[in-house]
Amino acid sequence: MMLNSPARIKENVRSRKWDWHGYLFILPVLAVLAFLDFYPLAFGIYYSLTDFSLAHIFNYKYIGARNYLFILNGNIPPLAVLVWQTFEWSLGSIILMSSFGFLLALLMNQPGLRGTRFYRTIYLFPWAYPAFITVLIWKGLLDYNLGFINKFLGIFGIAKIYWFGLPSTSMLSLILVNLWLSFPYYTFVYTASLQSVPRELYDSARMDGYGTFGSVRKVALPLLKRQIAFVTIFGFIFTWNNFYVPFLLTNGSPGTSTFILITYTYYEATNSLPNWAMASAYAMISVLIMLAVVAVVNRFTKMMSVIY
Amino acid sequence: MTDNIEATGNQDTLETIIESGNTHYRRMRVVKRLITHVFLILIAIYAIFPIYYVVINSLSAGISLASVSVSSLLPLPTKLSFQNYTGLFRFQHGALLNIWLPNTLFYAGSATILGLALALSAGLALSRFRIPGKKVILYMMLILSTFPFVIMIIPMYDMFSSLSLTNSYAGLIIPYSAGAVIFSVWLIKNYVDGIPLDFEESAQIDGYSRTQALFRILLPMTKPVLIMAMLLSFFGPYTDYAFINIMVTNGSLWNMAMGLYAYSQVSSQTINYGQFSAFAVVMGLPIFLIFLIFQKYLVSGFSISTYK
Repeated sequence: MMLNSPARIKENVRSRKWDWHGYLFILPVLAVLAFLDFYPLAFGIYYSLTDFSLAHIFNYKYIGARNYLFILNGNIPPLAVLVWQTFEWSLGSIILMSSFGFLLALLMNQPGLRGTRFYRTIYLFPWAYPAFITVLIWKGLLDYNLGFINKFLGIFGIAKIYWFGLPSTSMLSLILVNLWLSFPYYTFVYTASLQSVPRELYDSARMDGYGTFGSVRKVALPLLKRQIAFVTIFGFIFTWNNFYVPFLLTNGSPGTSTFILITYTYYEATNSLPNWAMASAYAMISVLIMLAVVAVVNRFTKMMSVIY
Repeated sequence: MTDNIEATGNQDTLETIIESGNTHYRRMRVVKRLITHVFLILIAIYAIFPIYYVVINSLSAGISLASVSVSSLLPLPTKLSFQNYTGLFRFQHGALLNIWLPNTLFYAGSATILGLALALSAGLALSRFRIPGKKVILYMMLILSTFPFVIMIIPMYDMFSSLSLTNSYAGLIIPYSAGAVIFSVWLIKNYVDGIPLDFEESAQIDGYSRTQALFRILLPMTKPVLIMAMLLSFFGPYTDYAFINIMVTNGSLWNMAMGLYAYSQVSSQTINYGQFSAFAVVMGLPIFLIFLIFQKYLVSGFSISTYK
């Protein structure tokens, strides 16, 4: 083996020059993304401007923005309602999950608390079991007539609750099931960040006379502000696009009261009279609104700066 | 960061030392601890219950959603039987063991291998080479990862049917392997960023070429993040329903999620709930155990992915 001179290596590993040969390594991924993301995305945008549906499956044509105008003006359910429900679902979930996770992490982060490792393992369970299955289990648990939860509440004389039967309660039930699915993730992430705060800082806050929650507010929150914002915003994006929970539990029912944009898109594309052009338009609208929200929030929290 | 998770614990803090002499404070502390434990145990029950519920139901012969009750959930050990499992394995001439399970493992396994190879080469290159347009590529991937799959699904179906890829193994495995690729690239890139250049440098002094140093020296050091990326790429296809439901009409290509969903759609009155539960256990338990075994890697991976 020939020994490389240290000078040449300096040029190699710590080189500041552009290295075109690195493209060989990322080319496969870029090809896959082009084939499976960019090409379909471009066609998705095109389809949203056509009348591609079951009625025009072989002879669809470009019709301009007519689908979007129809969505904005006349389609049932109205776009404003769908957008409201999507916000209700994603904001409601993320606020609940993020604060529940943070509080639980605080509880477990008390100095000298015994059994934290045991609790932590148990709290992994909802995260570890595939969500596709546990959502179906919750669907059975929350059944109005036969579900175990209503039977259990009945023992204490509590009347049966229409978990998924009423427009007014079903979105809340979805959010509660989502809380069960997601709180472990937030608990774990927040535990890690709370432990990155040096214990001495808490102790000195104690010396200054702050109580448990006072020291958290004065010490942990200011230090972790950006991390919390980052985790919450990515959680928001994830929940906005979370398909399986609303799809498996209610798929929009009762009426259209639990449709969010993404499940409604899927419904438009897969019901017995599919309208793929409309589905594409709804998908575009969903992405645009979500990206706009993230851009606005990023202006205030600068959370993207965590990445770079 | 994760090392800290492991190390939480029983260090005596200032608080303990100051207050240990005072009986009033000590009593207050005991009460506080007690309340904390009550909360933590209640949350633990909440976390475990649905999984306990489905395991017990799967072991109770002749159970239906209607007959689930407090006493059926606390059965005598002698009353448990594997009848539901034998029934499930006979269901539709053994479709689960002969078709759905092998298919699922084949899809998820090959997608994991392909996706990991793609993500590994791209992740290493994006961390170690100065590639022109690197930031653009990374941001592009980040934005792409916020797009829901439904946006791609309609054009993809069109594209795949013109390539005769619908109802084929390739038509499922190719998109599956791309499913987690963006996230894996990000994970690997961030992890490798944290490894000092010195290792490769000294390998190069020993005569390795740059690429050799990358794959012989650096690659073995990325084991934790590789395990994480591997598990993530496996979990997605394992429980996919939304995509396969559109791409596949041929029953011999079904995966377990399709089978379980079909099972759950039989109206809740007539469904054989014991067999459904057995299905949920057979499909979910392996993933659950893998997750618990590799929890160290998974949890650390998620904290890397959320912030550095």
